[in-house]
Order: sequence, then C-alpha cells, then structure tokens
Amino acid sequence: MIRQTIGGRLAHDIRNRGLTAWLLFGLLSGFYVVLYFGVDYGHPQTGVERAQAWLYGTFTVHLDAFGAQWLSFGSAESGLSYAGNRWTLYALLYTLAMLVGGAWMFHRYRHNPYQMVRTFSVLFLQVSFAFSVPILLKFFGHPEYYFSYLWPLKIEYLDPAHFEYFGEILVLYAFFASLVLTPLLGLLWGKRWYCSWVCGCGGLANTAGEPWRHLSQKGSTAWRFEKFAVHGVLLIAVASTALWFASALLPEGSAVGGWAEGTRRWYGLVVVAGLSGAVGTGLYPIGGTRIWCRYFCPMAAILGLVQKAGRFRIRVKRNMCISCGLCSKYCEMGIDVRAYAQANRDFVRASCVGCGLCAEVCPRGVLRLENVRRRDPQELTLDSLADGSWR
Amino acid sequence: MHLLIIGNGVAGVTAAMTARKRDVSLEITLVSDESDYFFSRTALMYAFLDRLSRRDLEPYERKVWDRQGIRRVRGRVVDLDAEGRTVTLDGGATLAWDRLILATGAGPRMLPLEGLDEIREGVVHFVTLADLDRCEALTPSTQRAVVVGGGLIGIELAECLHHHGVAVTLVLRDDRYWPTALPAEESAMVVARMREHGIEVIAGDTAFAVAADEAGRVREVRTHGGRVLPCEMLGVCIGVEPRIEALRTVRTAPALGRGVLVDDHLRTSLPDVYACGDCAEVESAEGERFIETIWYSARAQGEVAGENAAGGTRAYRRPIFYNSAMLIDIPYTTVGRSADLPPETPTLLRRAPGRPLSQRLLEGPGGELIGFIGLGSDWDHELLERWIREQRPVAWVRDHLHRARYDVEFRNVRLDRMDEVRVPLHGGEVST
Repeated sequence: MIRQTIGGRLAHDIRNRGLTAWLLFGLLSGFYVVLYFGVDYGHPQTGVERAQAWLYGTFTVHLDAFGAQWLSFGSAESGLSYAGNRWTLYALLYTLAMLVGGAWMFHRYRHNPYQMVRTFSVLFLQVSFAFSVPILLKFFGHPEYYFSYLWPLKIEYLDPAHFEYFGEILVLYAFFASLVLTPLLGLLWGKRWYCSWVCGCGGLANTAGEPWRHLSQKGSTAWRFEKFAVHGVLLIAVASTALWFASALLPEGSAVGGWAEGTRRWYGLVVVAGLSGAVGTGLYPIGGTRIWCRYFCPMAAILGLVQKAGRFRIRVKRNMCISCGLCSKYCEMGIDVRAYAQANRDFVRASCVGCGLCAEVCPRGVLRLENVRRRDPQELTLDSLADGSWR
Repeated sequence: MHLLIIGNGVAGVTAAMTARKRDVSLEITLVSDESDYFFSRTALMYAFLDRLSRRDLEPYERKVWDRQGIRRVRGRVVDLDAEGRTVTLDGGATLAWDRLILATGAGPRMLPLEGLDEIREGVVHFVTLADLDRCEALTPSTQRAVVVGGGLIGIELAECLHHHGVAVTLVLRDDRYWPTALPAEESAMVVARMREHGIEVIAGDTAFAVAADEAGRVREVRTHGGRVLPCEMLGVCIGVEPRIEALRTVRTAPALGRGVLVDDHLRTSLPDVYACGDCAEVESAEGERFIETIWYSARAQGEVAGENAAGGTRAYRRPIFYNSAMLIDIPYTTVGRSADLPPETPTLLRRAPGRPLSQRLLEGPGGELIGFIGLGSDWDHELLERWIREQRPVAWVRDHLHRARYDVEFRNVRLDRMDEVRVPLHGGEVST
C-alpha cells in the first residue's frame, strides 16, 4: 500500500476494511435497524425502543418529513400510511444510490459494451418498475406492485392471502413470471438475465456497491457454506409458500392457519429484513456486495440450478492464463475463477451472476461469457463443406 | 522415491503437480529461496498497482500443498552432488533425492552503467517479490523515474509508476517499442498510447551512466544521446537470463550453456536430473537450441519435466508460438511466427482508421498464414493456431477472420470496415 494522498488513503481504507469501512458498516446497519424495526417511535417503552426512537429521530425524521411531502404528493387523503412514506423514501434513496453508482460504472467501463448495456438495464428497470411504477400504481389507487421482483425473492407475490388484494391479472403475472419466464430465460441466458440485468438487489451491488466487490470470501469453505445456506433458504421459502397455500385451501380455524401466520412473520423478519436488508446491504463495506445474493437469496438458488442445466458458461482460452488472480479477486460471488482458468476448464457455477467483471479485468483476454453449448460453432453451408472450413 | 524440485515458480510447481498426478506415492519437495508459497510472477504489476494483495498473487489455496503432499522448503542451493544424490542449502541442510528437477528460473539482466558503484538506492528491477517490495518502498519518495527497456516488463513498470503519480520516462534502445515482437506500425500505436497516457517515451537511446546524490540515491541518468534525465529511481528492464550462477560452482555441475542444457526430454547431462522453465536451454531433436522465457513455455516444460521425472517418456515439442498482453489498455495477441522473419515477409495489415485496432496476417512462401498479430481486440488463439497448422491461405483467413474474434458480448469489431494494405513485415508499403 503506497498511496500518498489523503484521498487515496481514505479510498484504500474504506475499500479494504479499514476504520472508515467499519464506520460505514455501522451507519448502514443502524439505518436498516431503524428502517425495519423503528415503526412506533412515538411511545418508546423498552430501552431498545428508546434507542430506535433516538436513532430514528436523529437520522430520519427530517429526511422523512422532507420525503413525505413530495413523495406522498402531499395528500393525506390518498390513503398513504406513515409506513408507506418510509418505504417510498427508502426506495428513493436506494434508486439515487444506484444512479450515482451507475454513473460511475458508465464512466469506468465505457470501453466495455457488455457492462454499459447491463448497467443501463438495471438502472432503467430500477427507475421504472422498481420505483416510479409502484408509486404511480399506488397514487391511482391500485395495489403497489413491483414487476421486476418475482417469487421467491418477493415471496408474498405467490401467497394466496394477498391474491385478492393484487387482483387476478397481477397474480397471473406472478405465476407466469416466476414459474415460466424465470426458468426459460435462465436456460437460454443463464442466471444473469435476472441477477445482473433486472434485479434491484444485484443492481445496487453492481452500482453503488462496486467499490467493495473484491471483499467477497474466496476459498472452498465459503463455497461449502454457500451451497448449504442458499439451498436451505430456498427450501424454507418453498415450504413456507406450500404452507400458505395449504392454509388457504383448508377450512379456516385450523392449526395450519396459525403456522402460516407465524412463518409469514418470521420469514419477513429473518430473511427479508435481516438477511436481505441489514446483513445483505449493511455488510457491503466488510463482506462484499453480494452476500444476500450468494448465501441467502432463494431466487438466486433456483436460477443457479437452472443455470447449471442451461446454455450459459464462461469460456476459458486454453493455456493463456497467467494465474494473476484478478478474476478471482474481483468476483463478487467469491468464485475462484482463476482455478478454472489456469486448469483450462470452461465452467458454469451455480452462483455466477454473469456480471462479466472477470472477463473485463483479465489482462490476457482469457475469459468470455457465452450462451452456447458447443465450442467454436460452425455454420454448415455448401461452401464450408466444399472447402473444408467447417472442420 | 523422492523428487526434489529447485524453484517454486510456475515451471517447478507445474512439474510438482504433474508428477503428483502421475504418481501418488512420490515424495515431493519444492525448494525456493524467494517465497514460501508459489506466486504468479506475471501479476507483480497488479500488486504494485494496489489491485491485488500479496496473498492474492498465490494461485492456489494454501491447504492445497498439504493435500497434494508437496513439502515446501525455503533455501538457496549452494551445492549439488549428483553421485551422492544430495543437494545442500545455504542454511547447511542437506536434502537427498532420487530425481531432481532444476527450475531456478531467470533473473534480470543488468545494464553496464558508469557510476553504478556509488549508487546505494534507487536502481530497481521488476522481476522478484523483493523487487516489488523495493519499488513500493521507493515510490513515495520518487517524483521522476527513468525506465530502461523496450519489452513487456518495461512498459509494466512504467505504467505502475505512472499510476502512483511518478513522472516516467521510458528509454528504448531501438528506434521503436518492442521490435522483436511488433512491426513498426503496431509499435507506433503502442507508443502513441503511452504518450497519451502521460508516459514520456525516448526511442533510439541508451543510458550509460548514473549519478548519485549525497545519500547514495540515484539523482540522474545520462544517455548516449546526450540526454541528462533527473530522476530518483531507475528501472532496468532489459530482459532476463537463466539463473545458473550457483550451478557453476557446485561439486557436480550439469552441462551449462547460456542455461542448463537439456535434451528434448528435458534431461540434463546428469542422470535423473531434469531442468525446465526459464533456466533451461533446450536442444531439440532437430538440433535447434533455444531458451524460452515466457510463462506459457515454463508451464509446458514443467509438465514434461514433472512427467518424465515421475517415470514418463514425454518429449517437449515447442508449440506454435503464441502470447498475449495488455499494453497500457491495448490488448495484444500474437500467434505463430513474427520474430526472426525476413523483413520482406509479405503481410496483410488491417487497421481501423484513428483507433488503436489492427490485425496483421503474415504470409508464408505459398501464400499460407504463418503468423498473426492483433492489437486492440481479443482473439481466439486456438483457432488461429489451427489455421496456421492447416496452412490456410491468407486470403481465406482474411474472409473468415470474424470466426476467431473473442470480443466481449455486444462488441463486434467491424472487421469489414478496416483499411487494408499489403506491406512487407518491416519497411515501406508495397501495394494497397
């Protein structure tokens, strides 16, 4: 480490688990605690509630007052709850963070069209389907619906308890997008169509989170944990959904109804608030950007399984790798890309979100993201058969 | 049976891994005087750029060595006894072996410089981990640096220093950059890019003297061309040569030329002693003698030496040459022959107007493809290799070149929109 300027030292510090990185971690985690748990700050009872009230009062009330005015369009009559404002404000901050990070991405990777197109796609979908459209829907009295989020990432979209609220068109969309579109596009293009092109979680990681992507845990121990954890959450998500369907089909008052309610609460608290929010984003400066996506996201787990059977793979040029390790270092999913590259093995890893940064940082052009099953596909024409060039 | 390998660079480590694959019962020891763990020497510049940590340079997780049963020993070889089958290290330890592989690598070549005796600090190479430490330690106190050398390491060191805010002057002995690999047109593109980037380039000049300040730190460099270049750091990157000094004084030395002489099975003149990688001077069955000092050859030779030391009988065949690099931000790929060809060798040069993007197809006597040099985009070297092997006519390759593209998705370099000229490899244009 030989950076000399103060700015350079700070940049190094915050990107490499220095003091500033830990401070940022504290700040982000505090923000998420307040966001998810600081609801009733009017009448703090316990010490925790008082701490939340203090945090909430100090950091968010002013912002919220400001946000509430123009995000709720200033109308109490439109039926917006206080919590609604809070989430709209969160969405605004989230989208702004992505836009700032996205601008940096456009500058940084202006020579790489894959990065440009991909970044444009996540930004566009965030601004439209994950931000403006839900607000407009709500404003015109429709259910607030995020078309870019699908079951099981947005697990309540296939929860029968909400079907009446969403209406049949949105429910049909949820079934179609989750159960038909997701696996189909996954087979064609791999997991990346969603994780790197559409999803807002990945979108934040690949824009505002970009400076910390190299912090992901490499090594086989993390890989083992990942396989266990991500498929565990998937099982829980599928089982919960099954339970909710069971409780909807069974007559009211059965024990299943109580269990369903319990799973809803716990899934929301542990998986959604805890793992996807506080852990997933709060840990950016310490553990890297895709902690949620890699270890816990049930949608990523499904897409990963589909990806293993699909056409997407990372192609490796034979004997061209110099084992420098930039690909492994900058893999946000902690894949030891170098291990495959130096062994001359094309590969598909379930966790790979196809961000394409390994190929971008490779100084020898070894890696290439591809959607084909065969190497060197040849077009068979009469000419190529005649001159032997099909070989 | 004990296989002792001297050197834990890519040749030595590949030899160890290959031998292990062939024989699980073999006892294997790797000796290094440089590092505890194998690291990627080609990645030194990324550590200097602060993009990789020292640990990131290690291509294998550390537990791999125990799992593969490869023992690692630190030490420098001071003696070799081929009859008693032992090697003595500088610490006094003696290691017995049944098979020995010499993979001592190559060290930096030094420029003869007047006044070098007075220099205590500031003259660096960029080949070893120790060089990296030195460069990093010196950089904060360096405003201006001179790098001598017109090859890959020279441009890497210049780029790293420039990245850290040092004003860098690159001094090239020849009239252009990297003349053994790049024809004049391609060289000019790279030099133009270096200059745009902010690196000063002086061609056709050499440093002959250095001067030190009171503290013994480099103060200025003088060139034959009469230039006086003030600087606090001088990087000498004029190539490497086999590290065989220690072998010259041992009890039983293998036959040495410029490197350790080996036959096409990578056997030295001593029984059961092999050599591979940068330190080996190979004499092929056809009588050709060569030292290859690139990563890929070291790995390929390591495979052969490892296999043969474990009982195999593989011959090393020099593959169709290929190499690649990132020259500042211009990707470079070469396949087949381009060095040592007569200057009048016909070539088809394709250039994108106003951009550092080109392909050059080198033509053999029968009009067939014998070599390829690409700048500015990525290429599938395997397909180009196949076309060279199959002696495809240059005209055919030109029409099918798109099949060898290796561009990132959404970038399709428009190969139909390039200016084409037929020119000799070196020298003016002949026809368009």
